[in-house]
Amino acid sequence: MTATAVPVRPLKGREPRPQRFREMSSQVGWGVLAWVVGIAFFLPVLWMVLTAFKPESAAQTWPPKFTFSPTLAEFRLVFSGWGPFVTHSVIATAVSTLLVLLLGVPASYALSVHPVKNWRDGLFFFISTKMLPIVAAIGPLYVIALKTHLLDSIWLLIILYTAMNLPLAIWMIRSFMLEVPKELLEAARLDGAGRIREISGVILPIISPGLVSTALICVIFAWNELFLALNLTVTNAATMPMFLISSVPQEGLYLAHLSAAAVVASIPVILVGWIAQRSLVRGLSMGAIK
Amino acid sequence: MTVIEGVAPPKVEVRPRGVSRREKWQRRLPLLPALIYTIVVTQIPFVVTLWYSFQSYFWNTPAPAHFNGVSNYKTVFTNAAFRSALVRSVVMTATAVIVAMLLGVAFAVLLDRKFLGRGVVRTLIITPFLVMPVAAALVWAGPMLDPNFGLLNYLLQPFGVHHVAWLSTHALSSVIVVMIWQWTPFMTLIILAGLQSQPADTLEAAKVDGAGALATFRELTLPHLRPYIELGVLLGSIYLVNVFDAVKAMTQGGPGTSTTNLPYYLYQQVNNAFDIGDAAATGVVTVILTIIVATFALRMFARVFQFEEGGV
Amino acid sequence: MAQVKFVSASRVYAKNAPPAVSALDLDVKDGEFMVLVGPSGSGKTTALRMLAGLEPLDGGRVEIGDRDVTFVPPKDRDIAMVFQNYALYPQKTVAENMGFALKMAGVHKDERARRVREAARLLDLDDQLLNRKPKALSGGQRQRVAMGRAIVREPKVFLMDEPLSNLDAKLRVQTRSQIAELQRRLEITTVYVTHDQVEAMTMGHRVAVLAGGLLQQVDTPRHLYDNPVNQFVAGFIGSPAMNLQTVPLAEGGARIAGTTLPLPPAVRTAASRADLKELVLGIRPEHLHVANGSGELTGSGNLAGSRELTGEVLLIEELGADALLHVRLAESGNLVVARTEGRVSLSPGQKVTFRVRPEDVFAFHPVTGARLAG
Repeated sequence: MTATAVPVRPLKGREPRPQRFREMSSQVGWGVLAWVVGIAFFLPVLWMVLTAFKPESAAQTWPPKFTFSPTLAEFRLVFSGWGPFVTHSVIATAVSTLLVLLLGVPASYALSVHPVKNWRDGLFFFISTKMLPIVAAIGPLYVIALKTHLLDSIWLLIILYTAMNLPLAIWMIRSFMLEVPKELLEAARLDGAGRIREISGVILPIISPGLVSTALICVIFAWNELFLALNLTVTNAATMPMFLISSVPQEGLYLAHLSAAAVVASIPVILVGWIAQRSLVRGLSMGAIK
Repeated sequence: MTVIEGVAPPKVEVRPRGVSRREKWQRRLPLLPALIYTIVVTQIPFVVTLWYSFQSYFWNTPAPAHFNGVSNYKTVFTNAAFRSALVRSVVMTATAVIVAMLLGVAFAVLLDRKFLGRGVVRTLIITPFLVMPVAAALVWAGPMLDPNFGLLNYLLQPFGVHHVAWLSTHALSSVIVVMIWQWTPFMTLIILAGLQSQPADTLEAAKVDGAGALATFRELTLPHLRPYIELGVLLGSIYLVNVFDAVKAMTQGGPGTSTTNLPYYLYQQVNNAFDIGDAAATGVVTVILTIIVATFALRMFARVFQFEEGGV
Repeated sequence: MAQVKFVSASRVYAKNAPPAVSALDLDVKDGEFMVLVGPSGSGKTTALRMLAGLEPLDGGRVEIGDRDVTFVPPKDRDIAMVFQNYALYPQKTVAENMGFALKMAGVHKDERARRVREAARLLDLDDQLLNRKPKALSGGQRQRVAMGRAIVREPKVFLMDEPLSNLDAKLRVQTRSQIAELQRRLEITTVYVTHDQVEAMTMGHRVAVLAGGLLQQVDTPRHLYDNPVNQFVAGFIGSPAMNLQTVPLAEGGARIAGTTLPLPPAVRTAASRADLKELVLGIRPEHLHVANGSGELTGSGNLAGSRELTGEVLLIEELGADALLHVRLAESGNLVVARTEGRVSLSPGQKVTFRVRPEDVFAFHPVTGARLAG
């Protein structure tokens, strides 16, 4: 019968650990590989940022310059020219995202918590609109816009961006609503909550982080959208992607200016994406992956 | 003591079930705004497209549109440019999706292990996706691939590459590279989610059962990743087949038509040609082809989406 | 020969944190069923994982057979493990699950199939289950597949990490005896981890009690029960738990419920040497014999030299064949649980008298928990 009532200090003086050393060096090797890959993949972005701070003369050289005296000249140029473009982008993105949430929350509710009879058909209808190429209808879309005097209007973009993001948002918000524990809803029901109270009092507070993720994804897609803006706007509603296209002149040096414009145009989405990394997966997979 | 006899089971009356009519409408109501909005905004343009596809309507002539049957469709099907744009779309999408998925798996495996600065490397890897697509395309076209000043030529110098004009001689590959660059992060994140959802104890059981790293990956991890790979390929294809920005910004479909994919072809038709009828018919054919593919895709979608709910 | 030895084995997770396993010295004989039991955080699972090679050692070594396997990877240790959540391979069929290790070892397909069928028969797994995936199996079936996966390998040592904890109560009792019987039949050294002391007592040849990373006592179930080496073991083993009360020392013994229970001289000497004014008294529920009003015993047995304790019944738990009485003892107010012999007609609020034999009483140090005079 053995018994230990008093703790015994482990032996001092560790034995040699060949296995530990091998483990450690493989871990370090792995880390090095990952860093190399990460930096290599990130290189074009790095180059873009670097070039943005160059004076034009230093941006088009051979060999390409890694050291130079940085200047904010190109950025200043960008900021002096971006006014209307960024305004249109902000308005189109913000309003369309808001509309998406206003339309999407009730629709997701009707497809998840108290589902309509043919909810599967409804869901697939929405996703099918995402699969149909908007490019195919651009001609007649142009004609319609012309005839309804919506051509080159910010409202046209808002309307189209809302339609573009709505299916995605519905799938996403639905996936969040499905996570609300049924017991909470039943308890609310017992407490006398009607549908409106159920949504506003129980569901919305719980899924609010999910709504934020959904909004972020909508912002990303609306902000980056080029095709519709290109074809349906000229000056009165031109957005940031158009600004970028216009920063490539017919002749003359432009690489630094382009890079600065590219950086400025991309910063909002990059920041949003860095902060909301986890939501990215969920949004892009339409709610399939949590 | 009383004897308990067998008791005949009570007669059960079943009331007819079903949701009341009022309840049905109450459920439909929240759905209606979004549904009506989507139908109006997305279906009307297509109806109009369909209408115009049967018309002869030229933008640059004063003559009004008039019906000309299916002659527009005949033009579309005999148009070699349309067919080649279609083929090119398939080639570009398939190549980009496959390579992006392969890279995505590799990157996800890299990111799945702990190492110093893992979060930073992950952020670096997903950034290409966050750069505005048209910005990314322009930056690749200019500062990266320029024959005289581009970074790529400089980096490849030690390998004997000299001042290649990528967008002239390797236009299609260049565009595909940019597509891959932007969408690999998407694949990486999906596969990473799959790797992290793998239960740790099955991996330990494999260790005890004698499986090395490679065998574990082949026998356990890949089967586990299958639904994630399918999802990534499916969604990636949907997004990639519609890529427009890179083509517009980098090559404008050229040289010649070597990088013209279907979205760009349609764009050209609408902007450069004045034949609305033809453009409409092309659009309709594109939509029909998409519907055929999408039907298969949707069936896959349904199956793939089960996996998250069902669990393994 | 496959005995298992832990020699001063330690595992520390954080620099200044107490070790998860602290210098464990444990010998498991060849063919023995050794149970590691203890509350959560006791280090039992960590110790098992150290034996499996899934946790590295920070000190000491582990031996299987006569081999030091401290730095040997799990697959070369010739062990098989049953995990708590079974860890079955979800995309593989039952047959593929069970044959996986053999496949990794390069065993031919036919031989694999034969051994899988054999193991399946041993565990009462139907042939038609062999082609199903784990998803389509019940909890009990999955548990058996997990066992089958281990058995098929014919290893030197079986390791089991709480394999019964996910089964419902009835199935647990059934499977318990099946596992014990299987081990007796196969005669493979087995190290079994559980937090359930009933499992430990009924299944193990020997039981090792761990707490806070330290081995408290390792012995046969009977000896653990009759001769706990400290308060922890005494209170952990046995259900319902031993009654442990802190009581003041008095002339010749300990004072409880208005009586002085005599303590053996060895205990009294140990107490005075440690300068104790009080100690912890331990009495098993079945050693509180119920007497009727006049001091006569309602049960049988010779209780020469016993003393009387009185108290008030607070609650009666009817078990059918006997009952558990929750009693508040007179004067000191200690709460004890007593097991009756057979039926008694008592009700809450009534007075009850117990007879206790001094030799059935355990004494423990109030601070260290060590048994006073073993």
